[in-house]
Parts: sequence; structure tokens; C-alpha cells
Amino acid sequence: MEALAASRPRGRRWTNVLERPSVLASVLISPAVIFILALVGGPLALAVYLSFTNAIGGSLHGKWIGLGNFRHEWTNPAFQDAVWHTFLFTVISQAIVLVVAGLLAHALLKKFPGKWLLRFLILLPWAAPLPLSLMGWTWIFDTTYSIINWTLQHLHLVSTVSPPQWLAQPRLAMGSVIAVHAWRIIPFATVIFLAGLASIPKEVDDAAAIDGATGLRKFWSVSLPLQLPIATVALLFGIVFTATDMAVVYILTNGGPPPSNSTEMVTTWAYKTGIESGSLGAGAAISLFLLPVLAVVAIGMLIFARRAEVT
Amino acid sequence: MASSDDPSRREGRYDRRELIRRAGAAGISIGVAGSGFGQAFYGPLRFKGRWLKGDLTIIQWAHFVPAYDKWFTDVWSKNWGQKNDVQVKVDLILNTLLPARAAAEAASGSGHDLFFNLSPQAQLEDQVINHAEIVQEVQRKVGKIGVVGKKATYNPKTKKWFAFADNFVPDPVVWRHDYWNGVGIAPSTWENVRKAAPKLKAAGHPIGIGQSAELDSNMALIAFMMCFGAYVQDAKHRVTIKSKHTIEAVKFMADIFKSGETDEIFGWQPASNNNFLYSGKGSMILNAISATRTPEDLGLPFADQLYIYPIPKGPVQRLGLEHVMGAYSIWKFAQNIPAAKKFMADLEINYKEAFIASKFYNFPTFPGALPFKRIQKLAAADTHKPRGKYQVLTTIAQKYTVNPGYPGYTNAAFSEVFGKFLIPKMFAQVSQGKMSAADAVSAADHDFKDIYTKWRKLGKI
Amino acid sequence: MDAVLRGFREKGLSYLIVGPFAIVLAFPFYVMVITAFKQQRDFYDLSHSPYWFHKGPTLSNARFLFNETQYTTWLRNTAIVGVVVVLITLVLAVPAGYALARLSGKLGQSVGVGIFLTYLVPPTLLFLPLFSVITQLDRQTSHLLHFHLRGSIWSLVLVYPSFTVPFATWLLMGFFKTIPRELEDAALIDGASRLGTLVRIVFPISVPGILTVVIFSFSLVVNEFVYAFTFISASTHRTLSTGVYTDLIRGDLPQWGAIMVASLIPSIPLALLYNTFLDRFIAGFTGGAFR
Repeated sequence: MEALAASRPRGRRWTNVLERPSVLASVLISPAVIFILALVGGPLALAVYLSFTNAIGGSLHGKWIGLGNFRHEWTNPAFQDAVWHTFLFTVISQAIVLVVAGLLAHALLKKFPGKWLLRFLILLPWAAPLPLSLMGWTWIFDTTYSIINWTLQHLHLVSTVSPPQWLAQPRLAMGSVIAVHAWRIIPFATVIFLAGLASIPKEVDDAAAIDGATGLRKFWSVSLPLQLPIATVALLFGIVFTATDMAVVYILTNGGPPPSNSTEMVTTWAYKTGIESGSLGAGAAISLFLLPVLAVVAIGMLIFARRAEVT
Repeated sequence: MASSDDPSRREGRYDRRELIRRAGAAGISIGVAGSGFGQAFYGPLRFKGRWLKGDLTIIQWAHFVPAYDKWFTDVWSKNWGQKNDVQVKVDLILNTLLPARAAAEAASGSGHDLFFNLSPQAQLEDQVINHAEIVQEVQRKVGKIGVVGKKATYNPKTKKWFAFADNFVPDPVVWRHDYWNGVGIAPSTWENVRKAAPKLKAAGHPIGIGQSAELDSNMALIAFMMCFGAYVQDAKHRVTIKSKHTIEAVKFMADIFKSGETDEIFGWQPASNNNFLYSGKGSMILNAISATRTPEDLGLPFADQLYIYPIPKGPVQRLGLEHVMGAYSIWKFAQNIPAAKKFMADLEINYKEAFIASKFYNFPTFPGALPFKRIQKLAAADTHKPRGKYQVLTTIAQKYTVNPGYPGYTNAAFSEVFGKFLIPKMFAQVSQGKMSAADAVSAADHDFKDIYTKWRKLGKI
Repeated sequence: MDAVLRGFREKGLSYLIVGPFAIVLAFPFYVMVITAFKQQRDFYDLSHSPYWFHKGPTLSNARFLFNETQYTTWLRNTAIVGVVVVLITLVLAVPAGYALARLSGKLGQSVGVGIFLTYLVPPTLLFLPLFSVITQLDRQTSHLLHFHLRGSIWSLVLVYPSFTVPFATWLLMGFFKTIPRELEDAALIDGASRLGTLVRIVFPISVPGILTVVIFSFSLVVNEFVYAFTFISASTHRTLSTGVYTDLIRGDLPQWGAIMVASLIPSIPLALLYNTFLDRFIAGFTGGAFR
């Protein structure tokens, strides 16, 4: 490559500089990196600083208290519960997404009449702006007007006075939140899996057919290994989205229902502490807790994905 | 109304600010609006005889009674703006989003001149001005501020008025006269409520006192507790939740839940108890009169059967909280503090208009602004059936309404207890049988003391 | 005959899997459609079926939405923010994704992972400091630019790429890795410059990847809520996500009919759009240069 570069006619100097891979790489990467550093790195540093202070209200400084916030929250049962709930929420919803999206992606590979329409229906949850579709869900789960309860009551499966309260009973609330979150992520994951599946070269397909591998066997020994890298990355994104996004829980249950607050997540707890109750330093500390945990998970999964790459 | 983001209006001010910064003008009173040092001049010749100018930006909640917002933005603010040569711009926002917005404005040091909240934000005390001047100005014209207003917006420790409360909303109990007639009882005491509960539920019309992580539940349960002589804090701001009164109250409510309510009360949003009533299912809720005004507006068939009573009497007393209290704060860094102060004072002094526009929802915190006798006359003239039912609001406002945190002041620690919904949590634990009453109260005591210690260390109580 | 039967069985299996899920995923939208056109008294009446109209459909909710609220403004604002942010994302992420896929060694790996790690920071943590940053920026630039960054949709345009760019970079990195190096090497041997190769050979093939980024970034923007309601308080400057949530809920009485209309209007065209792009993007994957 270098010999070729040398043999090229001397043109304008800047284009020659850009021939060097490392320079070109830096030039291409730097806008993105600078942008991210400015808009994420800076505020993140500020947030880290805040977590070591007792800042209150909306002010961005406070007295330094070292690990005080962290120690206090670590021993706080409300925080411990929030961590457990976040774990449950993430793991269960992503497991559902993985299975359903995998199935759907496989089924959508082939052609069949009506596929376009069915795919359209599947994409709807993803296309709808989230806060709006969540409001739709609060109506579907409404304590008085829930369409689910109406149906169940008319089928005489539940009582009229005391129907299931999808957002008011602790286990049901967690289930509802998980279901809605999975509902929202499934189209997104399906698309990623479809891309992965579609990128399996035809030769592999043909080879598998020649070897007589069809159906489940083909899935297990051919499709799955090839899909593993992309499935891992999709799962990783799903996990990160789920753990850091508070929209679903905030709009549906606001971390309730009392007293167990079964749907309180780390994100909503941080919000309640830092913003609604004004203990900004503590709120920052709580939010930061997720960072190292997710980082470890992320790096682990990325290493796994790279190892699993089949060339 | 021109947008307050209109550049031509801002430019002049920034140039002047630059000038002053460079001149290091500490004592020069070529005012920059928002200096908070009193009256500000904008150069002597431009606006003769007027000492206010510029924009006034206000953010407040989207009122439960839409007619009030229409009046506030299209009539009141417009007229005031014209009279005082100020561009008034009002932003409306969902009330649950106000705390986050306030935090953001405080953190960035820039925001609306007047920031509204449905409960006085004691934790923002350091970022707002002392509102004493407004209180004094209004007191000069209409008389002293009511006790409820004072104890909710004044910090006796720092001697600072950290907000200006323009109104409070009495919290009656709204009940279905036809259903209760059917069981032959009226909700005049909590004992009556307990008696009626199972009968009402059996008839398919349960009671609805929320135990959810939301505002209405907070208010209702704290008020309920007070009827039993149980308080979160005492007059000296010590935590007093752990008492036999609280235990009795919690047990009593658990009783009412088991016999007369359904599980839904744990998953409510602020509008849910209203929905509960509007669907025809509910027989009683504790709510402001939006619960009667909306059925009137919607033409619901049972609107006439919705009666209004004061909070039922408990074994110790009949005492309630305000449903919400409108409290405006002015940031220290607000751009137009003089205009903000005058706006507030004028609004309160002329509160009759606001009261009527809100359909009797907003009661002035300065009783002199609209004496109770006159309110009663207005209420008596309301034609909705049963006639004169809104008159009881004055009784409730006068006798049965105190500030959150009574017998103490509304302080930051109490606000945090409030904001974390620890009271509904305590009640729910007993109602759902998860903890004994004694244990739940002890746990609450522990949590509250934690919070109070923190704020005491910060020197706020 | 055997093949025909197998064909039926495969198709049947597809319907069996896809059908139920499609119904479950789209069911809330059915409820939305009905509620959007229901009369208020109809849907507040528990004795009426929520699955169909009892008192006849009505356009009054839609009329309320368009006449009494700033809905069209919010739609427009969301569209503007979406398009501009997508453009910014492409400009930043395409080169970065390519560079990370091709040109960098160990350092590049770490940068790549670093970019991904920014994802792990929740917006609930960042929105306060970011709001401060925007305010400071606003103070410095408002007389230069003759308008206020703060409180306008351009503050969102500035901030949104902070979460679309990492994601897009990652997607494109993975995508560029699937483009065979031989293509570019062939062009380089023919005497083209690296930059020229990038522009003339690689980018045209990456259209499916770019489309993917467009779809994903746009959906991220449309769904964003926390920054939108922190930075913008004036009704006229709101986007869809905040406008509907704050202006159509009057505490006491959410305007359900109007809310449903408001939700349907962007969802359906966007789903159609995504569906259309999806075909191209999958075709691109199976296509490639060597077919």
C-alpha cells in the first residue's frame, strides 16, 4: 500500500496527508468524538462531582461529603429494592424480546401473502412516539375503564367490583411494566435480527440444505452461531435502553404501587430523590450506580460477541 | 403576545449588562432588570412615568378548571400587561412536571420570572428571593395574610418568605347522595364512613380514598390522620409520627379499605379518583370541587347527586388540609423581579376576579382580599343543584383547613416526606396486611427522622 | 406434491408465529383508533363496549386537537428536529463508523468501546448539567445569533446527537465491517485516493446501512422525552412528546380522544415509512457487491 502511495503523482499536500491511514482515521473520527466529549463527557463530569456533594435544590454546587451519598444509599432499603427491580425488569423483558424477536425474524424471512401488512402491524409500536403510546397504555390499564378488565368482566372471568388492577397490584404492576417495555422493544429487535439473518450468505444456506440440515437442526448448528454476534449486540443495546430509560415506569406507575413500590427502578428512584425531593447530590450518586455495572456487562458481552464471530 | 424570546427586546438589556459589568458598577443604579435591588430605571426618557418595562415570564400548572387558564392568560395578564407596559408571557405545564422544570431552571441560573408550584417548594429556598416585600404590600391594602398561607410559605428559622402563596383550595369530601341515601347514612364522621363502607361496596359502589404515590392520596391521608390527632411533625418541627393516634388512624383506614374499597386505590394517578367518581362507580372521594365542576360541564346524569361536605370528623377533631396551594416563587436570578412582585401583589389584591374565574376553586390566602361573607353570597348564587352547595366551602376554608405540616410550618423536610409519598406507603403497608400498624408507624418514624436530620444539618429547620 | 405440502406447512407456520404477535403488538392501536373517534360521553360510559362505537363516531376530538391546541406546530417541530438531527448524525457517524471499522487498530477499538460507554449514562442524570450548558451557550450567543437557543427547538437539535451518534457509529461500524475490503483495495490499486474510494465506492454501497441509521436515529429523536420537556417550556416550541403530555392533560381530565388522535397521526405514516425502508435495507444486505 505504501509503495502505491509513493508512486502516486504528487498532488496537493493535504490529500497526501490524508492518505496515511492513521491521519485519515483521526480526521474521520474526531468530529464525533469531540461532539460526544463536549455533550456527554462534560455533563457527566459535573454529575460525578455532584454525587460527592450534598447539593440541593437545583444548585450545581454543594459541600463536599465524599462517599456520604453512596454510603447512605447503599444501605437504604428503597435503593436496594430499586436495584433488584431494575435487574428483574431488564432480564425478564429482554428475555421475552430475544425469544419473540428471534421467532418473528425467522418467520419474516420467507415470502408469504400479507407479509407486508403483518410487518406493518409489528412495526407500529416502534413507530409511535413513546410518550403517546404510553398514554394509550395507561388508558388500557386504567383502574376504572380498562378495556382488558371490561373484556374479562364480560366474559365473566373476573369480578365486576374488584377486577385485576394492572398497575395497582404489586406483581401485576411489574408484569404490566415488563410487558409494555417488551412490546415497545420487540419491533426494534426484530429488525436487527432480520438484518443479521439476511446477511447470512446464500452459500451457507445452500450448503446447509445440501447437508440435509433443515428446521431445528439448521437453526441450532447454522443460523444460531452465525447470528450470535448480532444477537449479542442487539441484546446489549436492549439491556442498556431498559436499564437507563425511565419513561415506561414513570408514565405508567411512577415507581408505585405503594407500599412495596414494586416497580421502583434505579432511574425513577434517582429522579424522585434528586429532582422531586431536591437532594441533587444523592440523586446523582444513585444514577451513577448503574454506570459501572452496565459497563462491566457491556464489555463482557462485547468480548463474547467478538469471540463468537464466525468468519 | 410577542414571544419573550423576541431578540429586539433582549438586545438592549444585554448591552447594558455588558456595560455595567465592564464598568464594575457595584453601586450604580443604572438598573439591570433583575438586579433585585429595588426599582430599576431604564434610561430616563423612554417611558415617562412608568418604572416597569420589558417582559414578564410566568410558568404555572394547567389548571384543573380550564376556564381559569383562559381568564388568566387572555384577560388578566393581558390587561395587567397593558396597564403596566410589560409583555406578559404565560407558559402552562402539567403539574407533575413542575419540580423537574424548577430544578433545571435553578441549576442553570436562568428561567421564568414567576415560577408556580402546587405546594410551596421549601427546598428551593436558597435560590429564590425573600418575598416579604410582596406580602407587606398586599397586607397594606387588604389586611393580614391568613394563617394557612403564612405557615406554608415562611421559614421561621431563616426568617425568609420563600414563596408567595396566592391561593389555596379547600378540600371537601364529594359523595353520591343517592348511594348513601340507599344505606341511610351520611359521611359526617369517619365512624359513619366505616359503617357505610361494606354496605356501599356490596351495592357495587365502593369508597375511594387513594393510597397511591400521588398528590391526592398524600393530602387525603395526612388530613385523615389529623382527624385522629396524628401529625408528622409538631410545632417545633420534631417528628411525631410515632404515636398511638397514628396507629389508630392507620388501623381505621385499613378497616375501611378491607370492607369498603378495592385494590385500585394503590395504583391511582391524580385524576384517577375523579374518574372513579365520573364513571358512576365511586360513592365518595376526597377532592377539590373540580370533581363536581367537571360532571356539570360534561352533563353527567348524576351531577346533581354530588354533594359537598367538610372532611368527616374523627375521634379527635375535624381537620383537613388544603387540596393544593398555589405558591409562586421568584428566582434570585429572574430577569424582571420588580414586575414579578407587582404582578403578584396586584393579582392578590384583586382576587375576586380569580376566584370567580376558577369557579370557586381558588381561595385567596389573604382573607381580606375577598371576605368570606362575600364568597358565601357568590356561592349561594350558583345555580347548580343542590342549590348553594358551594357555600360550605367557606366553612371548610375558615375552620377546617390548615397547612401541610401543621402544627408546624411547611418546611423542606416535610416536603421531602411528601415528595417521596412515605405516608401512602405507611398506610398501604397496613391496609395490605404487609406490616402491623405498630411496625409500619415505626418504620415511617425511622424514615422521617432520617430526612429531618438531614435538613436540620443543612440549617433549614 | 411433497414440495407443495411443505410450502403450505412453512407458510402456515409463518402465519402461526407472526399472526398472533402482530395482533398483540397492534392491539393498542386498534383501541386508539376507536377511542380517537368516540364521543366523550360514549367512552366514559362503562356499559358501552370499548371495541366499537355506541353513539356513532365523531370528528370532534380531532377538531379539538387541531383547533384548540398547537398540535400542528408540535408536529412541525418534531419533524424539523428529526430531520436535522438525522443529518447531523450521518455527518458525524458515517465517517467515524468507517474509520473505526477499517482504519484503526487497538486504539480504535478502545475509542469504539468508549463511544459505546457514553450510552450507559442515563439522561435523567445528564439533563440538569446539559441544561446549564445550553443556558451558558445561550448567554454567549444570543446577541450574535439574534435569537435564543434556550427554549427553542435548536437546543434539542444540539443535544440529541449526543445519543444518536454513539448508536449510529456502532451500527455503521458493524455494517462497514461486512463490506469486503477487496472492493476498496481494488480501487486503491487502480490509483484512486483513499478519500476518493470512500466517496465513490464505499458510500454508495452503504445506502442500506445509512437508511438503517436514518430510521433508528429518527425513532430515537421522536421518542425522546426528558430533554424535550426540560429545555422547552413554551407551548409553541414544544415537540410531540411533551406537547401532548402537558397540554392535553388537564390534571383532572386527560382529553383521551384528542390524545389518541394525536398518537395515531405520526405513528401510521412512520410505520409505513419504516416498512418501506426495511425492504430496501434487507435487500441491501443480501445484495452486496458480489452478487
